[in-house]
Amino acid sequence: MSASLEKGVRVLKEVIDAPIASYFSSCVHCGLCAEACLFYTETGDPKYTPIHKLEPMRRLYEQEYTVLGRLKKLIGLSKAVTDAELAQWQELVYNSCTLCGRCSAVCPVGNDIVYMVRKFREGMSASGNAPEGIKGAANRTITIGSPMGVKLPAVKAQMRHVQEDYGLPIPLDVEGAEYLVMLSSMEIINFPEYLGAIAKIMHQAGKTWTLCSTAFEATNAGMQIGNSDLARVIVSRIVEGAEKLKVKTVISPECGHAYTALRWEGANLVGRPFSFHVKHIIEVLGEFQEQGLLKTDGFETDRLTFHDPCQLARRGGVIKQQRSLMNMVAKNFVEMPDAGFMNWCCGGGGGASAIEEGEELRLEAFKKKKSQLDTVKPDRLVTACANCRIVLEEGLEHYRMDIPVVGLTEMIAEHIPTAAATEPKGT
Amino acid sequence: MATTNDKEFREKLAALSISQQRQVAALFVQRVFAFSNDVRIKAALDMAMRADISDAELAVVSQAANAARVESYTQCGKETDWNTQAGLFVAKAAVSCVAPVAEGKNLAWDAAMQVRVARTCEAASGDVTDHKEAEAQYAILDDFLSK
Amino acid sequence: MNEMQFLTWVRGPGLNLAISIFLLGVFVRLFEIYSLGRKKDLSEARNVAGASGINTVFRRSLPADGMLKNSPITYIGGYIFHIGLAIIVFLFVPHIKFFQGLTGLSWPGLPSQLVDFATILTIVAMLVILFDRITKPVKRYLSTFQDWFTWALTFLPVLTGWMAVRHLLLPYTTMLAVHILMVELLLVFLPFTKLFHAFTVFGSRWYNGAVNGHKGVAV
Repeated sequence: MSASLEKGVRVLKEVIDAPIASYFSSCVHCGLCAEACLFYTETGDPKYTPIHKLEPMRRLYEQEYTVLGRLKKLIGLSKAVTDAELAQWQELVYNSCTLCGRCSAVCPVGNDIVYMVRKFREGMSASGNAPEGIKGAANRTITIGSPMGVKLPAVKAQMRHVQEDYGLPIPLDVEGAEYLVMLSSMEIINFPEYLGAIAKIMHQAGKTWTLCSTAFEATNAGMQIGNSDLARVIVSRIVEGAEKLKVKTVISPECGHAYTALRWEGANLVGRPFSFHVKHIIEVLGEFQEQGLLKTDGFETDRLTFHDPCQLARRGGVIKQQRSLMNMVAKNFVEMPDAGFMNWCCGGGGGASAIEEGEELRLEAFKKKKSQLDTVKPDRLVTACANCRIVLEEGLEHYRMDIPVVGLTEMIAEHIPTAAATEPKGT
Repeated sequence: MATTNDKEFREKLAALSISQQRQVAALFVQRVFAFSNDVRIKAALDMAMRADISDAELAVVSQAANAARVESYTQCGKETDWNTQAGLFVAKAAVSCVAPVAEGKNLAWDAAMQVRVARTCEAASGDVTDHKEAEAQYAILDDFLSK
Repeated sequence: MNEMQFLTWVRGPGLNLAISIFLLGVFVRLFEIYSLGRKKDLSEARNVAGASGINTVFRRSLPADGMLKNSPITYIGGYIFHIGLAIIVFLFVPHIKFFQGLTGLSWPGLPSQLVDFATILTIVAMLVILFDRITKPVKRYLSTFQDWFTWALTFLPVLTGWMAVRHLLLPYTTMLAVHILMVELLLVFLPFTKLFHAFTVFGSRWYNGAVNGHKGVAV
């Protein structure tokens, strides 16, 4: 057994808990999880059956934690987990799983398969079997401090641009602000309009907010790769920043996995409850709407539909807010089939979009989203996750579908009356 | 009267006809075209510079420019190369130039903003936070109006 | 061994052995699974009515949105044979008498024609499910020896019991003895195969519901 396999096996043994033991013991091989997984439904290849993605872990569980399994191992009747096997499973555990969680929602015996895949990734990454595409992100997290290599000067450059464009100041390191706004690398890099939208919304709501120079980003490559130590690095930085600035709430940006990492895994990674709340920007907007702090003007009149980011809706519990917000600024909002809790994944979350070898599979899996859109026939598609946006656009482009994709926060901000929100530059 | 601030800049752009907006927008984008060098973007800019484009021609370059835009996103988790990233905003600006919109939408302003972000990316790659793209754009607009 | 000795054995030592192994097996398995425990969740909970472990224990008995349409045989076949088994085991008067002999408890049963009807439905459903497991790519791919074995372990008691009541194939005494033997085999293997889901389904659904309920998601 190589050193890294040994490490991987050790990590896998550590993460197996009562829930996982219960799940493996309950699986009756009914195959319903496959019917819920877009990687199976769109390819017809049974190897993408969710529970099958965990086979090495199941064997390990049996061999290490059951009386019968240990007996079998003793008399040489069990098949050990090997390096080669883990290498073979890399495609199943990373390329064909976005941690979307539909499988966990349908298993009749109650297995939380996505919970298990997340844990399995810990062993995969410890044994060196994480995909190259995400490994780079992990390295950059340690060396540069950001999975995508975004440094403070870059953030400041975008801040400056937004200040000019919108005429609103972007606060940095303001102690005692109510909200600490996190950004995802994706927004800093691909969608700088998001920051401007935040500024407009906060200004109208009259809320104090700030960015933090030592903790501006929420993208958590550790979560994607399945390396808790790495995930902890990013979360710790955010916790330190939030506590130093004494904020009440940290806002997680329009990025699905960043929310999961911070909101649900964060406290467990750092080993203590947070002294601040964590909310997704859509949750905050929902609250502002309820409290009458969000006043918008005018409506979009074209036919709009909403793609629920998996980590926000099904895995995060934010399902109603985006709908109320859509109805606030859209006259013609229609739901796609399976909208809400059971919506289908864009196919690119959980680090999947960073894996080049997985692109063909992703595009094939996209047929599911395509079929939803073919049914609802929208003019535009709205969502609330920067990664979903790009994955959706790529899929739409590939299938020659002319449906622009927009972010919900930006759409809301566009309807905030400019007179109330901005002062023009130079006057 | 020279343009000195964004309020004036935006109003003057809005007052142009769509065809004029496309032309001045293309001038803005040409300043940062080197970050992209994509032939589809070039085709879009060349088309925008012409005063007489048909809807059909517009649709073709529009689609190509959009494809270029979608291809130039940085994937989540990948290392950011700010110079390459600037290409995304060049593409976005070019898409604005040839967007098939009805009269009344300020596409030149959109293009100008995207060009500024492209310049910001260049600044970010050099760990610099400042640039003077806005002033350069004012000068281009004034020059265009005086012709 | 003649048929009477066979019957006496399965009713006596055989039953004792089977029940002992069953009870020991259940206890050991439950212990080795649930003693692993789980870490406390330190993240702030989002409490939403209807989203909890116990809710999911019940709710998960129903198909998730859209799933019944794409896998009708799995669901409908599954419902029929599980409910059928429950009716046969717990509402057939001779079985109730058996439980009474073992525990002292008894309860009203169903008319035997109804149980007979339920048994036929169960047998048919189980055959359909078997056919489905052989023909559906995913099920076939996932299936191991244990899947076929446990199917037989579950099917044979039902079949042999029905045949005994109907006096088919073998003389009654022998058929009955065979039936009891099949039940004993089922008991002996249940804790050590996927059939143990009969016990762990509650824990699994509960954990799933609790973890998601913590996030305010009703699963």
